[in-house]
Amino acid sequence: MEFFLAILSAVPTTLLVTFVSFALGAVIALPLVAGRRTRFAIVRLLSKGVIDILRGVPPVLFVFILFFGVGSDLIRWEPIPAAIVGLGLISAGHLAEIYRGGLMAVHAGQFEASAALGLTRTATFSRVVGPQAFRVVIPGMATWLISLLKESSIVSTIGVAEIMFVTNQSARSTGEGLLPFIIAAAVYIALGTPFAAFSRWLEKKLSFGRRA
Amino acid sequence: MTEQQQPPASAETILRLRDIRKVYGDHVALGDVSLDVKRGEVLAIIGPSGSGKSTLLRCVNQLEVPDSGTLEVVGSNIDFATRVSAADLLGLRRQVGMVFQSFNLFPHMSVLRNVSFPQERVLGRSRDEADKVSKELLERVGLADKMQNFPQTCSGGQQQRVAIARALALEPQIMLFDEPTSAIDPELGLEVLSVMRQLADAGMTMVVVTHEIHFAAEVADRLVVMADGLIIEEGLPRELIASPSTARAKQFLSAITDR
Repeated sequence: MEFFLAILSAVPTTLLVTFVSFALGAVIALPLVAGRRTRFAIVRLLSKGVIDILRGVPPVLFVFILFFGVGSDLIRWEPIPAAIVGLGLISAGHLAEIYRGGLMAVHAGQFEASAALGLTRTATFSRVVGPQAFRVVIPGMATWLISLLKESSIVSTIGVAEIMFVTNQSARSTGEGLLPFIIAAAVYIALGTPFAAFSRWLEKKLSFGRRA
Repeated sequence: MTEQQQPPASAETILRLRDIRKVYGDHVALGDVSLDVKRGEVLAIIGPSGSGKSTLLRCVNQLEVPDSGTLEVVGSNIDFATRVSAADLLGLRRQVGMVFQSFNLFPHMSVLRNVSFPQERVLGRSRDEADKVSKELLERVGLADKMQNFPQTCSGGQQQRVAIARALALEPQIMLFDEPTSAIDPELGLEVLSVMRQLADAGMTMVVVTHEIHFAAEVADRLVVMADGLIIEEGLPRELIASPSTARAKQFLSAITDR
């Protein structure tokens, strides 16, 4: 029982790291995807490079680089901000590719109709293409959010007291092997399930007019 | 058969294309095409696929940027030898409405919003003003009962009429139609052609790329035949259809009339 309570007490930290880094990634992904679609070849190449690096480096290594590497030489920071920035940047790389897929799924005729009507680029993206792309990217974003929830366990390695960290501690201090890890696994599953359900609900809600 | 009405000979030229050239790789889509359209005129363009008729139409509102040539729309001049500024582009597109083969309605907006939203953004109308204009136009094209529907729940003919209303709501000087009935069941296409006929009767300047030879014969003031990126023939629709002077036009016309 005390394992369970200890692990539960770490849930807010896991959720904090997951949600804040997801939100950070969702915002940083926007300029990255814009960069991949601009007419300037150098910016396109640069954006693709950044995305490939963010997606190509193992998350645990990336967080180590930020916390132990950059953290000890350049700036001093606490484990939680380092974890959020690290996972946020990795999320940006993944979400940028998810956004790009969403934009590619929008029919070219939508861009043409917007242009022919004289809509500005901003209006075209925010009101015409964006909402249609968003519907397409919801499942991909939800999948990433659930991956991130699990992936956030790696920040235990830099001392963030989230679920994995507390579980490890409990297991070590009591010598009890299996139980705390099983409990932690159950907690991750219990946390992830509502995300998936929310994604399905949102997808359905935004399936404009197809039910009528 | 309705009487063909010629716009008065004194009518001003509202659209003037000069030596419009467009090349894709080594394929010449348009080889120095020149064309004038007068205010109130209905011009039909026919020709086999790949003849450049859609490309020409898309050059008028800059969905395709020509490699060279000049374009004059209601007084505003664009020379494609220099880069076209964004302000010129918006100015040009405000004068020109376009209807696409595939409708291109916004699927996440109701029929009413499809017609109102561009007015709010482009003309700065309030939502109430825009909705008022939209309702009048949707009634005119026979869709008063479909305003709250989403486009996907409408037939092709209905969607295309919404697209016409959406373009008209911005009060264009010229309407471009790019094969407006090609993606619609023939029967439902008639609804669209009848709306276009009303529009022509109301004096709208129209350039229509089409395979509907009867529409061209009855509604258009002038017919242009294109092939291989060039205008090969032009004249009064019925005369041209009855007795084309080039072998190429003759071949094409017999292919679409003898079916």
